[in-house]
Amino acid sequence: MSRRIAIVEDEPVIRANYADVLKKQGYEVAAYAARNEALGAFRTRLPDLALIDIGLADDIDGGFALCRELRALSANLPIIFLSARDSDFDIVAGLRLGADDYLTKDVSLPHLIARIAALFRRSDLLAAPQAVEETIERGKLKLDLKRLAAQWDGQRVDLTLTEFWMVHTLARFPGHVKDRDSLMRDAKIVVDDATITSHIKRIRRKFLVLDPAFDCIDTVYGMGYRWNAEAEQ
Amino acid sequence: MSKVRIALGIRAQLLLVLTVFLAIPWLGYEYVRELERFLRDAQEKTLAGTAQAVATALHDRPRLFDAPAAPRESLVVERSQEAMAADSTAAASAPPAGSAGGSGGTGGSAEIAQIVQGLSRTTARIFVIDRELNVLARAGSLKRPSLPDAQAAASGAARVWQWLERETLHPLYALVLKQPSEDFGEEQAGRVALPAREVDGALSGILTVDRRPTPDGKAVIVSAAHPIWVGDQVKGAVIVEETTNAVLAERNRAFERLFSIVLAALLLGSVALTLYAARLSARIRRLRDEAEAAIDAQGRVRGVLAGSNAGDEIGDLSRSFSSVLSRLAQYASYREQMASRLSHELRTPIAVVRSSLDNLKLSPLPDDARVYMERAQQGLNRLTHILTRMTEATRLEQSVGEDERERFDLGRVLTGCVDGYRVAYPQHTLKLELPSGEVIFNGAPEMIAQMLDKLVANAVEFSAAGTPIVVRLERGDTELCLSVENEGPLLPDTMGGRLFDSMVSVRGDQASDAPHLGLGLYIVRLIAEAHRGRAMAQNRDDGRGVVVSVALPYAAVS
Repeated sequence: MSRRIAIVEDEPVIRANYADVLKKQGYEVAAYAARNEALGAFRTRLPDLALIDIGLADDIDGGFALCRELRALSANLPIIFLSARDSDFDIVAGLRLGADDYLTKDVSLPHLIARIAALFRRSDLLAAPQAVEETIERGKLKLDLKRLAAQWDGQRVDLTLTEFWMVHTLARFPGHVKDRDSLMRDAKIVVDDATITSHIKRIRRKFLVLDPAFDCIDTVYGMGYRWNAEAEQ
Repeated sequence: MSKVRIALGIRAQLLLVLTVFLAIPWLGYEYVRELERFLRDAQEKTLAGTAQAVATALHDRPRLFDAPAAPRESLVVERSQEAMAADSTAAASAPPAGSAGGSGGTGGSAEIAQIVQGLSRTTARIFVIDRELNVLARAGSLKRPSLPDAQAAASGAARVWQWLERETLHPLYALVLKQPSEDFGEEQAGRVALPAREVDGALSGILTVDRRPTPDGKAVIVSAAHPIWVGDQVKGAVIVEETTNAVLAERNRAFERLFSIVLAALLLGSVALTLYAARLSARIRRLRDEAEAAIDAQGRVRGVLAGSNAGDEIGDLSRSFSSVLSRLAQYASYREQMASRLSHELRTPIAVVRSSLDNLKLSPLPDDARVYMERAQQGLNRLTHILTRMTEATRLEQSVGEDERERFDLGRVLTGCVDGYRVAYPQHTLKLELPSGEVIFNGAPEMIAQMLDKLVANAVEFSAAGTPIVVRLERGDTELCLSVENEGPLLPDTMGGRLFDSMVSVRGDQASDAPHLGLGLYIVRLIAEAHRGRAMAQNRDDGRGVVVSVALPYAAVS
């Protein structure tokens, strides 16, 4: 049975384009233009993944409300925000509502498809705990590459897909400086430098909540970031 | 503009205008002079009247003049030189002064004395003479009895005022006015000098009035001589004399009163005007200071004037300043938000194009279509790049000030950044000049790095390949100065402070791959201001390039 993806997007051309490309990838697509229409359909039948725009025509924060309602219907359903808005405020608000990722609309479709595929893989493996493990361990850090999940000192770190990929890029070669371009490439996003900076900040904060002494991500001014292996001890 | 202009404040100008009122004391002086003339005329008339009255009492009483000559005073008649020469006989005929004074006498002269005594006044001297210039009777004195000090001041304040008047005003009046003095020298003892003109005039039957100074010049004496007729013969004359001291005293009192009042009014007026002018100029100065403070050196509106509530012209001026400034601020914020709005509006159509192209890429296409696909993709990438740049500024505007501050070594950040630029811009020589030791700064290192990115990118863009770019950090007393120098075209004079505005660029029309949005230096300014610093651009002293610098105060965080 093919997976069913819901697209909630008020712009008909973009909606159609996204629907087309996803159908070509073999997904079943349900497209909605407004919040109530989508919510009605979700109540009847939950999709396997939802792509939601924040601003839905006149309903400025309609996507946020929809995400909250959808999260109430299902705790595990992958939700991706896809919006023209890119302020830190919107990103933080979206992720706090339980979205798995937040993308701006200039993301390319291949990147989007890769992300969707990764999210499906993660939700599949989370459902099946006995899967084969493929992990990277760096001191207290443990990255589960199959489940796309991270652990610090045995505790789960709740990273979004983008953040996970960034941590993975850094931790794979400790001590190597990764510039912003390679972080963007590996995280499959196209954003400006400042967005990378705020992503890194958010990642640091998530680790700091678990371990106030966390100091593994170094800023190398003018170059990028690196995983500081010594700081783990 | 080399004309020398005298800068006069409003206060000084008003005080200058006030000098017009100095004409008032002069007017008062003229008025008092007029009064004095009038009083003198009145005095002369009074004297003439007195003389006439005495003479009337003595008319047609030949007996009075027939009395035998007793020892009596004789009169010295003063004559001018010519008169003496012309009339030497008269002078010669005047015998030397008699031995005893006094108006005593027998017969006629005693009767005259009685009559005269009755007519005498306190401040006038009356003589009755016969044709031989013998004094038949005299009464009164020229000197006024000295008055007791009438104003034995009652209250303390009055005493202070009197003291003030005596100490400050009277010396001043003395300069302008002649004070009457009772201390004039009279004729030598026992001799009475009478003016020849009056005596001669009276003895020839004419009422004569004249004035003359005392021999020592301290007072002026007015005299009136009236003939005494017996039948149709002049038998003698009555001479009434008085000093002008009473008139002078009256004049002086009037002038002093007037002058005191005018002086008080002037003082009050100038104090009031000065206060008013001070208030006026203070308001104008406050308005000027506010207006100057509202716009910074770069011509940006820092704050909007509150606008005064006053209903006068200065209030109007303040309100119109306020509205001009707020319009300016609106325009500036409109321009600054343009990038933000534009990037937001562009994002959706770009997403349409991108998703369409991506879809197209996944479909089988003929080979020649692939070429156009590529070109469309290139154009789109460029568009995305522009969008990213615009977004960067917008995001910074939103997040500026929210970044946490930390204490860090600015030198280390700069070293790292410059190492990165050496890799990124291999065709340029980057020089880093740092002060010795750590340069601890309290701020957001990420933002400082972003700012340096923009500064160096700007310098690279405006300098020819191979020329050096100098990144310099200098320690000042209150602030750090971070500057980036490059060799290249100079700044146009007109751009000045606008360089750091959003969407302002000095680039010519030269073709270039990178989009020119004029946002780089705007970002520099935003970050500098977030650290309470300021950004400046000027041509190098040697005229070969430009130096863009950022001053960062040490106490950047409140």
